[in-house]
Amino acid sequence: MSDMALNTAALPGDAGVQTLRAQAAEVFARTGLPGRRDEDWKYTDISRISATLGEAWWSPTPSELSETDFSGIEGLDAYRIVFVGGEFLPEQSDIPEGVTLQSLSALLADDADERSHCLFRLDESAPLFNGFLAANSALASDGLCACIGANVKLDKPLYMVHIGNSTSHILNGLMLGQGAEATLIEHFVGGDSNSAGLNNIATYLRLADNAGLTHYRLQMEGTKQFHIGRVEVKQAGNSRYTLHAVELGASLSRADIVVNLAETGASCDLNGLFVASGRQHIDHHTRIDHNAPYCRSRESYRTVLDGRAHAVFNGKIVVAEGAVKTDSAQSNGNLLLSRNAEIDTKPELEIYNDDVKCAHGVTVGQLDEDQLFYLKSRGLSEEEARQLLTFAFADEVLVGMDSKLIRRFIEQAAFSKLPNMSDLEGFLE
Amino acid sequence: MLRIEQLHASVAGKEILKGINLTIGAGEVHAIMGPNGSGKSTLSNVIAGRDGYEVTAGSVTYHGKDLLAMKPEERAWEGVFLAFQYPVEIPGVNNTYMLKAGVNAKRKHQGEQELDAMDFMQLVKAKAKLVELDQSFLSRGVNEGFSGGEKKRNEIFQMAVLEPSLALLDETDSGLDIDALRIVAQGVNALRNAERSIVMVTHYQRLLDYIEPDFVHVLADGQILKSGDKHLALELEERGYDWVKVEAEQAAA
Ligand SMILES: Nc1ncnc2c1ncn2[C@@H]1O[C@H](COP(=O)(O)OP(=O)(O)OP(=O)(O)O)[C@@H](O)[C@H]1O
Ligand SMILES: [Mg+2]
Repeated sequence: MSDMALNTAALPGDAGVQTLRAQAAEVFARTGLPGRRDEDWKYTDISRISATLGEAWWSPTPSELSETDFSGIEGLDAYRIVFVGGEFLPEQSDIPEGVTLQSLSALLADDADERSHCLFRLDESAPLFNGFLAANSALASDGLCACIGANVKLDKPLYMVHIGNSTSHILNGLMLGQGAEATLIEHFVGGDSNSAGLNNIATYLRLADNAGLTHYRLQMEGTKQFHIGRVEVKQAGNSRYTLHAVELGASLSRADIVVNLAETGASCDLNGLFVASGRQHIDHHTRIDHNAPYCRSRESYRTVLDGRAHAVFNGKIVVAEGAVKTDSAQSNGNLLLSRNAEIDTKPELEIYNDDVKCAHGVTVGQLDEDQLFYLKSRGLSEEEARQLLTFAFADEVLVGMDSKLIRRFIEQAAFSKLPNMSDLEGFLE
Repeated sequence: MLRIEQLHASVAGKEILKGINLTIGAGEVHAIMGPNGSGKSTLSNVIAGRDGYEVTAGSVTYHGKDLLAMKPEERAWEGVFLAFQYPVEIPGVNNTYMLKAGVNAKRKHQGEQELDAMDFMQLVKAKAKLVELDQSFLSRGVNEGFSGGEKKRNEIFQMAVLEPSLALLDETDSGLDIDALRIVAQGVNALRNAERSIVMVTHYQRLLDYIEPDFVHVLADGQILKSGDKHLALELEERGYDWVKVEAEQAAA
């Protein structure tokens, strides 16, 4: 990657945004992309991206798909917010009333109060900051910008679907006012298409006092696609954030989940499921900062890896000096179905006061022989027994989903991709 | 009918079963007693087909077929059932789902039609009543969070649902409270019939008061040293195992 000059000239935004874009391009040219010498990227080699997409791998490309190529989550009643090839499609979308919600493209076209500026402003000192985020800020032209007012409880989820296999830079910002409640579903779909691109997504979430957000992040990109994501959450007093991150697709997918428990009593739950096979590479780096007293964090990640799949999980928790009565627990379970599958998992705790409760546990293993024998002794075939145990292992993180429809959808999608997991009829009762 | 002849088996290179001979006819109830570590569970596991046991000599035939050549699930389809001494917990795998898969696999193997969900639920509910298992256990994960006694009761419940022709009950009475023992024993008695053979491994005469065996065997140091009728159990209760060993040694000398 020799020439790292991003061309931000023809992109939308007022003079202020243009300045911020230019600054981001500078940061990008200076810092470049993370390499294997960076501790946070030690196990994820991104040279695949430029090797596949070429020198100017960041240049947006159109999608070969259209919204009709994807039927959505069956039975889901939600506000649809549709993007194809990184572009918002208003005719296909259904925007809720009573909330401030528009696409970034629409906002940039008419940004009288400069609301978009905060989304483009980069903070190089932010945890897990990297060149992709700089590229996003320099090049993003669409996304979702929404403010959900104080005490508004959205009646239906916001369902943001990205139909792709293209290269795009998406920038989202969602703010929840005091006591507001909402569900956000980010769904990335690609299908079996042979084309490849890079989806580079940044999502900024802000929760005011007592706000509650449930966030589904469903990565089901096409098999050749690259996916780089960042979710940055800032939580005020007693707010609640729940993430269900599901990673099924893409050739290489990396997500940085950065949560700042900024005020007293905030809590977050991060749940993750990776199901990968072939040569897929999936990496989540999560970072939770306990910056205030009486905050609670829970983290539960599970991976099921087959073939030569490689997964990386890094769960870093930093408890600040003043963050007394911190209550934090993290668990990461990994099931390796093949000898060639690989997991690199690492919990990291940095604790700067004594008044904390932090638990963490990691397991890496194969299916349990005693359990297999038990099932077979009851008449289940070897294959059936293996399927059932694999399913049960993964499902443990999905039971936390409050939407049965999404859970069912993910179960189907996840297990139909593993060999011999097609007959799910009985499992899903 | 089960026929075990000169069965030798080792675990991790150590010989545990040292020439077992045992024949169990249809409809018979056999009790196997013996000191800790003598090989009772090993024998049950070898019959059920658990990995990790190497059969070095001898044979096990069931209804004339070579049981040792079959996979564990095939043995289950042939009617073999093991109630485990230590039932394993399988979180996330629904008890009823497991049984439905097991029952239907067996029916398929026997050329019978599979049961649909309705018929199966009916069967399961009736069998749960038989061992007075609370319905709430049906929808829980297999043994997940069950108490020791509940696990044992669940094993007999599964036996009732799977309707084996050969049931091996490995210390099913251990861990049961006094009432539970009676209930489980009644359940087993209700399952006794002319085709079904039952092998009970136990340390306690008490179980045999409830479920009267046709034969009692003493398994010590990997061999069946003595066989008799139900009176042998009473004698063992009174005198322990040493005299059996001494007798066997004298007979050998
Ligand atoms: N996997 C193993 N590795 C090594 N030794 C084993 C293994 N499994 C069983 N053994 C040994 O084999 C012997 C017989 O064990 P088994 O469980 O059959 O005894 P048991 O008669 O059922 O005893 P108990 O009455 O205590 O249940 C014991 O000495 C035991 O330690
Ligand atoms: Mg035993």
